[in-house]
Amino acid sequence: MKRLSIAAILTLAVAVLFAAPASAWEPTKPIKIYVGFSPGGGTDIVARTLVAASQEFFPVPLVVVNKPGAGGTIAADFVSKQEGDGYSLLVAGGSESTSVPNHREVSYSLDNFRGVLRNIRARIILVSKAGSDIKTIDDLVKKAKAESGKLAYASSGAGTLYHSTMLLFTKAAGIDMKHVPYKGGSPAMAALLGGHVDITLAAPEEAQAQVEAGQVNLLGLTSTERTDLFPDVPTLKELGYDVYLENQKGIVGPASMPDDVYQYLHDKFKMGMDTKVWQKMAGKLKLETSYLNGPDFKDAMGTMSKTIGDAVKGL
Amino acid sequence: MDLFISAASEVFAPANLLILLASTVIGIVIGAIPGLTVTMAVALAVPLTIWMETTPAMLMLLGLYGSGIYGGSISACLLNAPGTPASAATALDGYELGKQGKALKALKVALWASVYGGLFSIVLLVLIAPQLAQVALKFGPAEITCLLIFALTVVSVLSGDSIMKGLFAAALGMLLATIGADPMLMIPRFTFGVDELFDGLAYIPLLIGLFAIAEMFAQSEQSFRFGATILSIKDGERDENRIYAEDVKKCAIPVIRSGFFGAFIGMLPGLGAAVASFVGYAETKRASKEPEKFGKGAIEGVAASESANNAVTGSAMIPMLALAIPGDPPTAILLSALMIQGVTVGPLIFANNPDVVYMIYVALFMALVATAGVAAMFMKPISHVLRVPKVFLYPIILSMCVAGSYAIRFNVFDVFVMLGAGVLGYVMRIFGVPVAPLLIAFILTRPFEESLRQALIRSEGSLMVFLEHPIALFFLILAVAAVAFTVWREHKTGHRIGEQG
Repeated sequence: MKRLSIAAILTLAVAVLFAAPASAWEPTKPIKIYVGFSPGGGTDIVARTLVAASQEFFPVPLVVVNKPGAGGTIAADFVSKQEGDGYSLLVAGGSESTSVPNHREVSYSLDNFRGVLRNIRARIILVSKAGSDIKTIDDLVKKAKAESGKLAYASSGAGTLYHSTMLLFTKAAGIDMKHVPYKGGSPAMAALLGGHVDITLAAPEEAQAQVEAGQVNLLGLTSTERTDLFPDVPTLKELGYDVYLENQKGIVGPASMPDDVYQYLHDKFKMGMDTKVWQKMAGKLKLETSYLNGPDFKDAMGTMSKTIGDAVKGL
Repeated sequence: MDLFISAASEVFAPANLLILLASTVIGIVIGAIPGLTVTMAVALAVPLTIWMETTPAMLMLLGLYGSGIYGGSISACLLNAPGTPASAATALDGYELGKQGKALKALKVALWASVYGGLFSIVLLVLIAPQLAQVALKFGPAEITCLLIFALTVVSVLSGDSIMKGLFAAALGMLLATIGADPMLMIPRFTFGVDELFDGLAYIPLLIGLFAIAEMFAQSEQSFRFGATILSIKDGERDENRIYAEDVKKCAIPVIRSGFFGAFIGMLPGLGAAVASFVGYAETKRASKEPEKFGKGAIEGVAASESANNAVTGSAMIPMLALAIPGDPPTAILLSALMIQGVTVGPLIFANNPDVVYMIYVALFMALVATAGVAAMFMKPISHVLRVPKVFLYPIILSMCVAGSYAIRFNVFDVFVMLGAGVLGYVMRIFGVPVAPLLIAFILTRPFEESLRQALIRSEGSLMVFLEHPIALFFLILAVAAVAFTVWREHKTGHRIGEQG
């Protein structure tokens, strides 16, 4: 009996000895993933898809917390001021990260965040109504030059990526258009279909249903290369307009996040992106999976932010 | 017809019915709790649907979606704490009925009006969704602006005894609505550097404060003075809680008219069930021969409000299904859920996926039936909540209200907004200033400013745009007529302007 317990103690001691160095960082309480927009929005869907796909790799619950307000900047500000302990994360990469801070003062900057990984990128497509005499970017530029300042575009709000995209484009093309802000992408699309504006912008998944029904013309997209979803739609770059902006979604945490926490979160979420759950949901939702690691994601956001910043400053 | 039968047979599979029943019960409960909204419930449920078949997935989501608004009327009638923004107008008369010991009657009327409103909108959805969607698209900034001007005239009806006090409340509501970033350029107004105010005051905490918290302040003041009055549903009051033929007669026209208003407002983007219920309520009062009874326990007020807000559920699906353009947050989530199921919504859905369309029709209808069944069964036991002494009941409601206000944006700021609104509501009561005009002006001001400025950007500042668009002109004429009618009625019933209420 005595010998047995000594053996047990010894085994335990050895186990502890070997286990200790292996236990890098492991979460011990629920991880909160903050979303700066209401439930049901594009950012929210990405967060919930990622949680559904990645949960099995985490020993603790992943909780999506919607903290909507001020175009996503309230949540971004909140997370930037949390401790970098890995328990407060943010879904970033969209307007709140790259566009809004260039249009108005916010109490955070990209420097306050450390990228974890990028999950998707969303192209931005210029759209006109079917039956309108604007069928290509060329038509648009010609018409805008002929009727200077008469054509109007709908954006998803002042300071958003869609607004910035049009600022960049009109500058590159040397045209003048009216800006009519709407509350989000759906009302903007409704305004286009109702004939209340001439142009709007859309994400591929928003545009697809309208394209299939023959309701809209896709004029061009703002990426460096074409998309598989609409291989016939040219990029603005090809047409000679230097406009490169994309919407992205990924995970970031406060800048003070240490390396081991970053590595853990990055690896687990990456595993989530390789699951069938992620592939099925992203596929069905027409989300373009596009992985980048933390530093690259942050660089990508930095590039976009600088592009927009330069364009806004020149106004 | 074959499609309809096959959709129905799928819905009626026992497992599917069970899912529908469960989600309906959850929907009612979530709807009844102030601050927890149908939108949250549906958003939380979407990830559960990834591996489900289309039918059970849609049944689950539509069960939550279709039952929540009725749920809101329960807490509105019993506790003066509207469970959803859409049931604020229900509380105006529903809670008065509750205080008179007719809570059960109010709940019954609310239920049948809800069922009618829901049913009417489903019928529209089934019969003329594509055509209605085209009408909805015609409503651009100019049309919406004039529609909202007309909607603002209901302030005069909601004012109660004194037009001056009503206009004061409405002005206060408009003023509160100007807090936050301006809708065009996102320039902050009256935010004093507080980020939480950037989007303006949130509607739900304001509503909870003005109704539930103010009621608690008033009640506690009374209890301290006169001792507690315990509301109860005694056996002798059973007769009072029956619905009689004359009640049906009183409610029939308001319910039908409000169903029409609700369905119409529901298919336009950005207005929603709260506007619908106030407009339905106010138009019923305007048409009533006894407008003085409103706000003092008129059942047709409850009926009108509930018919209107439930008519929104079906008609909000119209632009989502027919155009792939969701008009409000819950339908936006339903759209993603359909995409996950591999269904592309939009004009082609009626040709490509008629099976799914019919399944949605049947599911919406069955959600309504399930809501009616569940509510009819549990209405009586739930109304016994009024027997709980207020010393115990109020702390529970208060903690629910605090939690609900917090849950809207996960922000403590909104809890303070709720408490501040409670104090405001209490002070308004003392001076006899009605709360309803404040709320409706608050809801309408932001979309009004937005569409007004959108219209003026396009017209380059010319106001003629509102006269050139026929639909816009129509609503302007209606608005002028409504104001003229109010003035005429005031004149006829003696000069009440400026008089004490």
